Amino acid sequence: MNFSLISLEIAVVILALGVLLGDLWTPAQHKRKLGYAAAAGLLLIFIFSIFARKELFPSGGTEILADYAFGKMFVVDGLATFFKQFFILAALFVIIMAAEFADRIKTGIAEFYSLILMALAGMLFASSANDFVLVFVALELITITFYILNSFQRNRISSLEAGIKYLILGAVSTAFFVFGLAFVFGISGTTNFSELHSLLSTNPVLGTQPLFLAGLFFIFVGLAFKLAAFPMQVWAPDVYQGSPAPATAFLAVGSKAAGIVLLLRVLFIAVPQVALEWTNLLIGIAAITILYGNLCAIPQRNLKRLMGYSSIANAGYLLLGFAALTRTGSSAVLYYLAGYLFTVIAAFTVIVLVTRQQDSDDITVLAGLGRRSPFLAAALTLAMVSLAGIPPLAGFFGKFLLLKAVVEQGASNTAYYVLVGVAIAGVVMSLYYYFGVIRAIYWSRDPNDLSPIAISIPTRLSLGVCMAGMLYLGVNPEPAIQLTKAAVKVLNIGI
Amino acid sequence: MNVGLEHYLIVSTILFCLGLWGVIVRRNLLIIYMSLELMLNAANLALVAFSRYNNKMDGQVIVFFIITVAAAEVAVGLALIVALYRKKQSAHVEDLTTMKL
Repeated sequence: MNFSLISLEIAVVILALGVLLGDLWTPAQHKRKLGYAAAAGLLLIFIFSIFARKELFPSGGTEILADYAFGKMFVVDGLATFFKQFFILAALFVIIMAAEFADRIKTGIAEFYSLILMALAGMLFASSANDFVLVFVALELITITFYILNSFQRNRISSLEAGIKYLILGAVSTAFFVFGLAFVFGISGTTNFSELHSLLSTNPVLGTQPLFLAGLFFIFVGLAFKLAAFPMQVWAPDVYQGSPAPATAFLAVGSKAAGIVLLLRVLFIAVPQVALEWTNLLIGIAAITILYGNLCAIPQRNLKRLMGYSSIANAGYLLLGFAALTRTGSSAVLYYLAGYLFTVIAAFTVIVLVTRQQDSDDITVLAGLGRRSPFLAAALTLAMVSLAGIPPLAGFFGKFLLLKAVVEQGASNTAYYVLVGVAIAGVVMSLYYYFGVIRAIYWSRDPNDLSPIAISIPTRLSLGVCMAGMLYLGVNPEPAIQLTKAAVKVLNIGI
Repeated sequence: MNVGLEHYLIVSTILFCLGLWGVIVRRNLLIIYMSLELMLNAANLALVAFSRYNNKMDGQVIVFFIITVAAAEVAVGLALIVALYRKKQSAHVEDLTTMKL
């Protein structure tokens, strides 16, 4: 077997264990620096992954290639490499954020870094999963790690509450996933995605068996939990509000993207024949998720809770690309995710820095930020403008590509036009609450405390990269679009 | 009476629904947690039954994975519930209302 295929996973696990070991010999006052060491390690792994990708795709990703390992359970293809780089980048930013957050975690900051890396290992496995069993194990590696990350501030009741709410709903969704897996395995006799796909094409009757379809729907419900999409979206606001901010950020970016890549693999690699029959279901779920997220976000006054509802709304926008059932739609999903990464990381990094002095996440802590730190104010403003979908930022172009993919399919099903209408209504609603945040930054009554906010150099760098990323993806989208188009070539659906 | 695959599946579905019902209506965290385990075991029963009647061992192997993961989940979950009990002297969901709209 070719062990170089799982080199990234091995490297991340070794780094996680190394951080744990390093904790033993690090004096208490330097523990925070372990985070910077872990971030440096991740940066090396990211650079290595770029070279590994070059080796896999000598001609720049135009060819369809897939390398299998572990009896075809594990696959390395364009989609996997795209998501692996995405996850490593996300974890890199989150660890820098966690180092900034270190003073608010009483004990075990090294474990916090290490758990983030473990969750990253789960995400890397998830992006390569080609078998329901590996999907299950990777998913649980992510979910169980997040139970701990979410309740890491044990001295705060809200953090414990967030952890327990996530635990119960996460376990329910796991049970749904496993129950669905039992039926899919029982009826088709296989759990491998490639085998399932060929079984469905040689034997179309399988795709109409009610138990098989019920099993797939249960699996869909289990994965919808990761995305925070309807019908498993209720946990998001509470958990986002209560968890430590770096854990929330990783939940919003990493965990959601893991759900996306698994959904892409299950729906469009394993059972594309069934997915094509589910047009109306996907349209309905996308529309409900968009409306739920945007309507509930309007009255929110807590920044992290607002981000929770915004995350539900964004899960809805991402589902637009799934509902289109084309590779154009899927590549738009990938593009949107890339923009979302920079946007959400920038927003949460600013939240971590601003809430350091005041122990509150209320939107009023932003008052006077425009004068206290113009840099942070600019970063948060850019993030909100991008989330709201104003040109020329990444969020605008992502939404444009998603809507374009849906409109292109409009001829086949008029429900698509309704979906586009709902999505545009959602975007208009979201303008209100995103601009509420911007108003709090620049046009609210100044507080007494106008002291400037200290920002460490790594955080300044990561914020700078995020802002550059948002602008670059919006102004010059062509290279990223080529990248996402190459990544979705492996999907078994039409262009 | 001959016990066939469908009987196992019906029992497994009943167990799953009972577990889900318990999660929804019970108010004690430990009971909710037991109901969650019931849901996972319903899936295990279905997998073993399918495995036996399809003459494929894969299902039984998957059950081992599920049992292992469930054990890890219980370890973390009970630790969380104990931490909450230390803080609030209660393991009832009514007390988990710090965060509301």
